[in-house]
Amino acid sequence: MSNAVVDREQESRVAEVKRLERREGWKRRLPILPALLFTIVVTQIPFLFTLFYSLTEWRIDKPDPETGEVPRPFIGGENYGSLWGDKFFRDAAWVSVQMTVMAVLFSLIVGTLLAILLDRKFFGQGFVRTLLITPFLVMPVVAGFMWKTQMFSSTFGVINWVIELFGFGPTEFATKYPLASVVVVLVWQWSPFMMLIVLAGLQGQDQSVLEAARVDGATSFGIFRQITFPQLRPFLELGTLLGAIYLIQVYDHIEVIVGGQPGAKNLPFYIAQRSIGGGNRFGLASSYSIIVVIASIIIANIGLRVLSNLLEDDS
Amino acid sequence: MALLTRAPKAEPILGQNRVVANLLALLTWVVGLLFFFPLFWLTLNGFKSEADANSSPKILFEPTFDRFSEVTESSTGLLSFTEAFGNSFWIVLISTVLVMTLAIPAAYALAIRPMRKWRDVLFFFISTKFLPIVGAIMPLWIIARDLDLLGTRTVLVVLYTAMNLPLAVWMLRSFFAEVPKELIEAAQIDGCSLPGQLRQVIMPIVAPGLAATALLCVIFAWNEFFLAVQLNPTGASTMPVWVNSQQKFQGQFLAGLSAASVLATFPVVIAGWVAQKRMIRGLAMGAIK
Amino acid sequence: MAEVRYEAASRIYPGSEIPAVNNLNLDIADGELLVLVGPSGSGKSTALRMLAGLETINKGSVFINDVDVTLKPPQDRDIAMVFQNYALYPSMTVAENMGFALKQAKVPKAERRLQVEEAARILDLEPYLDRKPKNLSGGQRQRVAMGRAIVRSPQVFLMDEPLSNLDAKLRVQTRTELADLQARLGTTMVYVTHDQVEAMTMGHRVAVLKDGLLQQVDAPRTLYNAPKNKFVAGFIGSPAMNIVDVERVDGSLKLGSVDVPLTPSLTAAVAEQASSDFSVGVRPEHIAFANDGFVGEVVVVEALGSESFVHVRTHHQGAEEMIVVREDGQSAIDRGDQVTLSITGPVHVFGSDGERLAD
Repeated sequence: MSNAVVDREQESRVAEVKRLERREGWKRRLPILPALLFTIVVTQIPFLFTLFYSLTEWRIDKPDPETGEVPRPFIGGENYGSLWGDKFFRDAAWVSVQMTVMAVLFSLIVGTLLAILLDRKFFGQGFVRTLLITPFLVMPVVAGFMWKTQMFSSTFGVINWVIELFGFGPTEFATKYPLASVVVVLVWQWSPFMMLIVLAGLQGQDQSVLEAARVDGATSFGIFRQITFPQLRPFLELGTLLGAIYLIQVYDHIEVIVGGQPGAKNLPFYIAQRSIGGGNRFGLASSYSIIVVIASIIIANIGLRVLSNLLEDDS
Repeated sequence: MALLTRAPKAEPILGQNRVVANLLALLTWVVGLLFFFPLFWLTLNGFKSEADANSSPKILFEPTFDRFSEVTESSTGLLSFTEAFGNSFWIVLISTVLVMTLAIPAAYALAIRPMRKWRDVLFFFISTKFLPIVGAIMPLWIIARDLDLLGTRTVLVVLYTAMNLPLAVWMLRSFFAEVPKELIEAAQIDGCSLPGQLRQVIMPIVAPGLAATALLCVIFAWNEFFLAVQLNPTGASTMPVWVNSQQKFQGQFLAGLSAASVLATFPVVIAGWVAQKRMIRGLAMGAIK
Repeated sequence: MAEVRYEAASRIYPGSEIPAVNNLNLDIADGELLVLVGPSGSGKSTALRMLAGLETINKGSVFINDVDVTLKPPQDRDIAMVFQNYALYPSMTVAENMGFALKQAKVPKAERRLQVEEAARILDLEPYLDRKPKNLSGGQRQRVAMGRAIVRSPQVFLMDEPLSNLDAKLRVQTRTELADLQARLGTTMVYVTHDQVEAMTMGHRVAVLKDGLLQQVDAPRTLYNAPKNKFVAGFIGSPAMNIVDVERVDGSLKLGSVDVPLTPSLTAAVAEQASSDFSVGVRPEHIAFANDGFVGEVVVVEALGSESFVHVRTHHQGAEEMIVVREDGQSAIDRGDQVTLSITGPVHVFGSDGERLAD
């Protein structure tokens, strides 16, 4: 074959391959478009609005005396500039950090312990497991009410009734230890979720590896520490990630249990207070929201880089 | 090969000898009961009279169904139990169906024939949950009002779908990634088209994972309070709003609230109880990968 | 029935410099059972998957029955494939597994049932038609995978190490059944394995690959008697050919202190080479115990009953070399014996580049 013919064939082949690759690329992207487009429309439009509002001053309670309408002047980054000076913002941020870290950490620990206890055959195992997952299924507002009025209450709370038996005085937990109270309820609700994830991890273990360890003379604790726990890592990481994403945004519990006491005011609650909860400064509140988004993106990025397992491709 | 054998029942990892095993079983029971206790107490309170409920903890009392019938009564102008239940039911059902319909193809695209930037796409989905809804409620409210959607089921269906979609995509993607590549290749060679592969080969394998994901979506949607109370306080209100409204401003309401709480959480609790085994199996199968 | 042709076919994974399959040229005749053999990473599975359409062909082409299928998706190539892990659909019964492809081709139910039953009969799967894969043994699953391929009457069968997950005895048995089946059906088969015994016993011709490059493709006997290079020589034949590096001294090659017997043409070829580094290869059956030769000590005796393989430690060029000798099965040779070896058969000489010098 002459060189010219070969070259022409090569060229048309290369073009054909390129065309097929492009079509393949579209075929791969197509199935994800409905979900992607839906999400973009429903979430990004409000987000952009919030971003816009964060650059304005928007005090709902101060309408223009002449027009009766509320002005919304563009003030650029002024809202953001006032952030660091705002003591309440800093407090709320700190509460957010404490609350999220403690809630995630403790529910992970409790959940893991529960999973270990449950990972065996015993009488009524299924029933006990059913009991243990129920807190996760309960509405946050119900959980909040329940704990506040029936457990923590100094007048008719069960906890007080119990500790009074031991001679300790009645304590209104929700007012005296607001942050702890909220964390307790959060841990109570989220431990089952962590427990399920860890349980899944425990059940996926390779029996032969465990048996080999026993033959090698390892104690139960040693087996857990050196073999099981490393294997559980991806599950624990998943629990941490999902838990954190939901727990940063906690609002209902705080509203119901402690309703605005300084010790337990996290960022979402503070944002609500500043805007719809009477603060009426929507521009400022919007800037807080944007800060939360930015902080979350940074933290999540760092987190995901560390937890490389979570985004591994099968191939 | 893991797909062709049942998941091994985990051997106890603690306590080989009999006494320790029994003690641990006992401990587990105690812990389980303690954990469940608040809910038990709640249910108990639902059967008390208001006087009984509002005094120091009583275990012995005269049980009555009165609170339950009171809260389920419909009064004009007030949100009724049946109305709230109906709204919740439809909103949760439709949004969950919508979530699965959107998430399944998306998960397929991300797991089985991934594009180069699939990690970024996944991160984008997750990042939509970073914006506090308390902060975004203003624009949401305005947009809903301008679209005439305040107080309708539609607005909550749309928002709950957006709320659950990231989780569903994330979880389903890892379930799909568990399907052995060779199985898909065999189906391809056998002349199976994409929807055919999905329906006949992939779905049967990921079914437990689908159930687990759907259950989580149902839980989160049913229990959602903030958006419901802000956007639909009077029209198309949901169960959480109804429960909240059982708080009265005067008089005692604890028992009534307890009864209402029991009724409101009942459906999801039952669903969770029934599906828990599938959830664990689904999560074990490949929530992690 | 079809002939298969690889023309300068290459597969380069994105991000990698080295091709997984490098410029493969291979002609497979209609009805032939061609085995692709080589160590892990040699590219044999990749080459098979290129034929299947599961790997993109970055350069070159692949033809089935003279039709260029390079850009065609798997479902349009009229091929059937058996995977190493069988890839059976876990939620379907054996019958449904085997009938799946026919269902995709919209073959009516009655005819599908007939074809499935026919294939089941050939493979002794009739009692299992209603079982699910998880209730089958490994050997049964393997046959279902075969059945799934047969039912389609494709132009080419592609087999990706189909026997490696079977136990040794079953593997030997199935191997002959498979070769027999192929002969009866007369369909072209491309068979991948890492086991050279499988390759030698089953293939009409065997293609040896290493690092993505085709080393040699020939009938088994030719590969055995005239391997083109050191790699093929050492890969084909079990136990492996004894290959020792030697230096040309005064025009002759020595093993230890003993001259290696060379044919005149080989002697001339050796003299012609620029480099004086060579490798000498002798198969175990071409060495015998004698009175004259190079000495060594017996280290291990593998007594198989029909024959024994004696591992002898010898000294050569200041280092130890282990030579394997094939002996009569009833021989009394034992560990620790001092023996003398002499070469009784053809000698293969390889140049410094590994290529075999013609004899």
